[in-house]
Amino acid sequence: MLKIENLHVRVDGKEILKGLTLTVPTGEVHAVMGPNGSGKSTLANVLAGRPGYEITAGSVTFQGRDLLALAPEERAREGVFLGFQYPVEIPGVNNVYLLKAAVNAARKHRGLDEVDAFEFLTLVREKMRLMSMEESMLSRGVNEGFSGGEKKRNEVLQMLVLEPRLAILDETDSGLDIDALKIVANGVNTLRSPERSLVLVTHYQRLLDYIVPDHVHVLVKGRIARSGDKSLALELERRGYDWVTGEAA
Amino acid sequence: MNASAALSKRVLDEYAAVRQSLPAGVVSPERRQEAVQTLAARGLPSTRDENWRYTNLRPLERARFAPAGASPVSESNLPARLEGFARYTFVDGVFAPDLSSPQEQKGLTVHSLRRTAQDTTSATIFHLPRALPALSNLPEARLALLNEAFATDTAAIHVSGTAPQPARVEVLFVAVAGADTGTSYPRVQVSLDPASRLVLVERHIGAGGGANFVNGLVNVDVGRGARLTHYRLQQASVRATWLDTLSAVLAADARYALLAVNTGGLSARSTTHVQMAGPGAELTLSVAALGDRQQVQDNFALVEHIAPRARTEQIFRGIASSRARVAFNGKIVVREAAAGTDSRQSLRGLLAGPEAEIDVRPQLEIYTDDVRCSHGATAGKLDDNMLFYLLSRGLSPEVAQRLLKWAFLEDVVSKIELPELRRQIEHDLAGQMADAASLKELL
Repeated sequence: MLKIENLHVRVDGKEILKGLTLTVPTGEVHAVMGPNGSGKSTLANVLAGRPGYEITAGSVTFQGRDLLALAPEERAREGVFLGFQYPVEIPGVNNVYLLKAAVNAARKHRGLDEVDAFEFLTLVREKMRLMSMEESMLSRGVNEGFSGGEKKRNEVLQMLVLEPRLAILDETDSGLDIDALKIVANGVNTLRSPERSLVLVTHYQRLLDYIVPDHVHVLVKGRIARSGDKSLALELERRGYDWVTGEAA
Repeated sequence: MNASAALSKRVLDEYAAVRQSLPAGVVSPERRQEAVQTLAARGLPSTRDENWRYTNLRPLERARFAPAGASPVSESNLPARLEGFARYTFVDGVFAPDLSSPQEQKGLTVHSLRRTAQDTTSATIFHLPRALPALSNLPEARLALLNEAFATDTAAIHVSGTAPQPARVEVLFVAVAGADTGTSYPRVQVSLDPASRLVLVERHIGAGGGANFVNGLVNVDVGRGARLTHYRLQQASVRATWLDTLSAVLAADARYALLAVNTGGLSARSTTHVQMAGPGAELTLSVAALGDRQQVQDNFALVEHIAPRARTEQIFRGIASSRARVAFNGKIVVREAAAGTDSRQSLRGLLAGPEAEIDVRPQLEIYTDDVRCSHGATAGKLDDNMLFYLLSRGLSPEVAQRLLKWAFLEDVVSKIELPELRRQIEHDLAGQMADAASLKELL
């Protein structure tokens, strides 16, 4: 599904990713963990195509295609989804408009007709119940006046409606209390399937109690310093990042 | 002779040539004479004047100030009628009964002053606005004086009594004549008796796509405890010069909601002057302006608090695309006696083109201590984070930008309380944002 090879990325002239290599096969859930400043969010943003990141070397292929050659909207329509660490508030753009516009953009890309309005709303309502979101949030501006937890739930709602092939969730667990964490994790788990891949970018092991990853990678200073199964996350929790950063240094 | 003196002389000459033919029932010969003299003495505005620096006044030099002659307009040129509204249409500033659909409404009278004056059998009593300050005392009334001198007709609207529903009137001004053949002088006077209510839609359009020259004047008198909701839609044709002066006085506890959407014209300038003359009066002044191509959309609004405990809320949202210039100069003056004044200004401009220009300017002049006045003014580009968020959801850059521009206007558009009018305005706005099809899907 996703193959990142020797990726080097600069931000404001400073090298953040320094030869990152990572392969995420179809149907798997991978967690990318790491201390602050290790390049986790840079990785997530580069995959989604945010401007301001200079790729100096390496490649990223998504389903055999050069992902980096695609514009952000093309990546989205091809089935790449980024769950934002800090979802932006857009007053005046209605949540349901955005959802519908996003779904229709992807459908058009695949040569399908626009979604039926009634079926669409039925689907959205069902997903909202799953995310314990009040229906009134649909008619509000995108993330407008939402609490931190509501914003993260809204990210997962969008993901559930869009059904991406590859979802990258950037610190979706940060700022959530335990109840919200469970709701978010539950939502993400419903999307797990043999056709879909997930990349969970997180600082803490806690999320992985609820979304159990197939593989865990530790990102240190712009490179994968260590990979393993879910027990690696537990070991990190016990021994702290110093354990890996010390090794990597 | 300098350019300004030459213009003044031309005003006098053109006035002298046509004054015999100007209808006395609309403005008396004495008042016309006074207006033209005052104007000649003061001179027309120029961009050297502080409050006119953003206006494109060059079209004044080419315009013929004498009123335009009659032109035919067909019903198909007009926007759809609004349910429940009496419509009065004026073509180049003159009432066109064939294009109008008056309606009996309790407490409402609407006249064309030109026609009523001709009708000698009529026993109509005119309800002229009572409390309006003399035009010559307004700080920026020179274009209003030009209207006063050459006026061809007036839509005189009067509401009395306390009907369960507010009266509903649309006045529609259609400009047809080109600037070289004459000026179109829209003119409205609105007068609300105490406790009466009116919803007024005032719309300006062009027919035939000509380079019209329009110079309007609106006088508003809102009586004690009366409520006026006034929608002003400036949808002049793309080559038109559209100039306008609105002067309003609010009595005690009067409420005036003035909402303007300016999208038309090549060079447009709107001058608004509101006096909060009675204690407890309330004004909301909301303006949205869109400029594209080489359009100039200039707005000047002066709100004068004279009486105590009055409230003003002023909102401006302007978008300048391509090489357009969009300006809003919002001045609030709080006089000595206006203790307890509460005024808020939120002025925001959006730059959506590399050569576009936005000027937003809040000004406060306060002569008393006991006031609450707040203002915020910003001019900036579309937010990169918002844009990327929308792209990351698969929206094209064009749709994402339009959506954000749309959202930017929401603070004004959301105040339109009539669903039907709101739809018409939304479609007008969407039409102004190039390739609107994909946006209309979202409406």
